[in-house]
Amino acid sequence: MTPARYDVTLDRVGGPTRTIEVDEDETVLEASRRSGVSLPYGCRTGACGTCVGRLLAIEGAESGDDTTDADGTPIDVAEAFAYRREPRALKPRHRDDGYVLLCIASPRANSRVAVGSRVQSELVDNPWK
Amino acid sequence: MSDVSTSDGVEPDHEHHHDHEGPGYSTPQAAIEEGGREKLAYVMSLYVGTDVDAPDFVAVVDLDPDSDTYCEIVDRVELPNRGDELHHFGWNACSSSCHVEGLERRHLIVPGQRSSRLHVIDTKDRRNPELVEVIEPEEVFEYDLSAPHTVHCVPDGKIIISMLGDADGDLPGGFLELNDDFEIEGRWEPPGEIEMNYDYWYQPRQNVMVSSEWAAPKTYYPGFDLDDVEAGNYGQKLHFWDWEDGTVEQTIDLGEEGLIPLEVRFLHTPESTHGFVGAALSSNIFHFWEDDGEYRAEKVIDFESREHDDWDMPVPALPTDILISMDDRYLFGSNWLHGDVWMYDISDPSNPRKADSLSVGGTFGEVQEVQGRELAAGPQMIQLSLDGERLYWTTSLFSSWDDQFYPEEAERGSVMLKADVDPRNGTMTLDEDFLVDWGECPAGPARAHEIRWPDGDCTSDVWQ
Repeated sequence: MTPARYDVTLDRVGGPTRTIEVDEDETVLEASRRSGVSLPYGCRTGACGTCVGRLLAIEGAESGDDTTDADGTPIDVAEAFAYRREPRALKPRHRDDGYVLLCIASPRANSRVAVGSRVQSELVDNPWK
Repeated sequence: MSDVSTSDGVEPDHEHHHDHEGPGYSTPQAAIEEGGREKLAYVMSLYVGTDVDAPDFVAVVDLDPDSDTYCEIVDRVELPNRGDELHHFGWNACSSSCHVEGLERRHLIVPGQRSSRLHVIDTKDRRNPELVEVIEPEEVFEYDLSAPHTVHCVPDGKIIISMLGDADGDLPGGFLELNDDFEIEGRWEPPGEIEMNYDYWYQPRQNVMVSSEWAAPKTYYPGFDLDDVEAGNYGQKLHFWDWEDGTVEQTIDLGEEGLIPLEVRFLHTPESTHGFVGAALSSNIFHFWEDDGEYRAEKVIDFESREHDDWDMPVPALPTDILISMDDRYLFGSNWLHGDVWMYDISDPSNPRKADSLSVGGTFGEVQEVQGRELAAGPQMIQLSLDGERLYWTTSLFSSWDDQFYPEEAERGSVMLKADVDPRNGTMTLDEDFLVDWGECPAGPARAHEIRWPDGDCTSDVWQ
């Protein structure tokens, strides 16, 4: 059986937007490399967070602002992606805020994701400043 | 591939003698006398964590003031993959093998801290090194290890690498051993000796190795989070090992004043049991030594946090790197957040005495630009000439941590700077004629981390 294929729109913060097709059994990072779209990455095991994206919208879900749906509930990453292994780089607050590790995430819906190094730097602030 | 050109009959002689047939120098003083001035530097250079679509590279920097390309990156060894995060690296052989005939200091082992990929670079042509071998992450993960950090060679042509995590980027870490053909031999230690790992140094004549602690890769990789400090996810211990057996004999908990003990150095003289470690988060330096069969550790330098109008909390110094001069007279270090490099007289190691410091870059540095180039961060990785007269440093700590504390470094790139040191008088002067700028790299601004000389330096040579 041919694996299902989804459109994932990669919205680079401070850069161009590209839509790529991602099979349900490959990761967004694998598909991006296959499609010649550059994404930052590091460990490729879900431990480092370099590849992190922020889920902006899931097709079919009525979207409100960037990280919530029409009811104001945070967007649920599990509706858009399945993980190959535990996303250890993400703390519960990151998971609740829609952050997704693209090196281990495979699509389950068409979606739009903010990507690029600026998304990674959102994960932690300077704690003293 | 092996650097032991006469493999037959080469049995390392563990009885120390002064026959010098192999790599390096017979004593630390011989390194000072025979090493000559450093004319090239190898510097870890990286694009991880930026949007520059290029692999990390090893920069070859011209340090010869008589050369037309002085202060320039004259060669770049590009790695085959992106995302490695080049960080620390080391030699296949150093002075610890000075009695091993036929072994050469020739191959650099260059790990990817994030990728867990290991690269071997042949520096036969010192100015144009060449990538010759790649060990892929999957081969490393088979030993349930990841996040390679410190590389030391050990007598015999073996190489041991401290590994900070298991195959999932979680704890425990351990040590990976490579043979002299750069193949993975296996784990060096029996698993379960330690949880956290970071840097290590060994002093073979005392049959001791010391290792320090950062955190699990999944903790420090994404960036520094105070919640992790409160949860006890960062290290504060030193482990003293039986070097021959590969087992931990003693662990010292440095407590709250010893949070995140990073670079750990024994004195160079092979007779000594004295050493130092910088506790980066607590901004303290600890002295450790053996006393009646037990190791002890005591805080000997304490850097005070400083108020800054733009910060909500007093700014910690964050001493992220230290080294000991080859003559064991001075401890040098960098306070990355404050923007200082410093030298302490350690002729009495229990009582370090401040000799001099320079205030440059970082949050408080008095010097904020060199040759019109604005410095984007404080001094970080340091390296000293063998004669102790020139201190060099770069400015990147770790890509994700740089982005938190010095976000402009991603856009401007790192610099390498230099101070002239007068060891007789214990003083340092910034050399404003010296500047190497990673902001000018062809693919875009890059970060720069650890520095090595082609023929031995103050942070890699050990004596048997």
